[in-house]
Amino acid sequence: MEEKLFTIGQAAEYLGVSLNTLRRWDENGKLTAIKKDGGTHRYYREKDLEIFASDLMKFASEWIEDGVEFPGTFYCATSSIFNARLIKMEYALMQKSGFEKLYSLIILITGEIGDNSFAHNLGKWPDTAGIFFGYDLEKRIIVLADRGLGILETLRQVRPQLPSHVAAVKAAFTEFISGRAPEKRGNGLKLVREVVTDQPIDLFYTSGDAEVRMKGPDKAFRVMRGQRLVRGCLAKIEF
Amino acid sequence: MKLQLEKFGKTLISRELGSEAFKAFQPTLREFSKDEVLEIDFSGVLTLSPSWADEFLSPLLEQLGDKLVLLSSDNLSVHATLRILGEANKRQFAIK
Repeated sequence: MEEKLFTIGQAAEYLGVSLNTLRRWDENGKLTAIKKDGGTHRYYREKDLEIFASDLMKFASEWIEDGVEFPGTFYCATSSIFNARLIKMEYALMQKSGFEKLYSLIILITGEIGDNSFAHNLGKWPDTAGIFFGYDLEKRIIVLADRGLGILETLRQVRPQLPSHVAAVKAAFTEFISGRAPEKRGNGLKLVREVVTDQPIDLFYTSGDAEVRMKGPDKAFRVMRGQRLVRGCLAKIEF
Repeated sequence: MKLQLEKFGKTLISRELGSEAFKAFQPTLREFSKDEVLEIDFSGVLTLSPSWADEFLSPLLEQLGDKLVLLSSDNLSVHATLRILGEANKRQFAIK
């Protein structure tokens, strides 16, 4: 059976990027196109597009670190788009064997992390507004990222003495504190920590140079200083 | 009076929408007699987040006090959310 080939237009639609982006990615080797019999038209194997689109962490980290463009299918410009995509994921997850009850906690933590990005950066996005939201339920992974202010700058608005990214992320996950005080907020990440501690869910979360890694059966909440300095926030949820 | 929370949606996630739901419910609440109990029914809700619930259930608890009663639910996100709100507000919801 002949393998299905996508035209450049179909590939652009599949990935949610422009034709020019695909041409550029072909020229710089990021996503190489096929040219039939020495012709100039670009074609793409469906499998190659699938593999390319599956590296969620790479897209998210390159975007927040260097502003590298990623497939638009993962972009949520507003919280309404995020909510709609989250509901779509919820329906798919509910039908997955073994997740008939657990789905609601996975949606809860994904929703809290994503909603935090919008709530804390409203009217303050340093450049690109919105978040990266990608998931692969077969691989059981969800990735969220934003190019916002990050936890330290957000919380310093109410607690200027916070000394470091590590201290800020620790406060965000353990105390009832909000960057939007005196509005009563700041319970979301505490519940994320509790749910991840109690359930078969792993979390990697980073903002600035602070990293939270909660993994495996004996996971504990700890904030460490990592090697990289991350703009905004990035979260990986595995289950 | 019983309120089916799913009338506000099956996936109750953001603060923004929780706050909108609370405002939309105010006219109904004004017709409420002082001695009446408001029961909140979670059936049909797929996911309830602490952000949404903090904008809806927390101010309702302040307004109604003991007259607010939550009907028990077997949804894990409802359990987790009510637990953290009880801790954050330093006041537990009455659950039937």
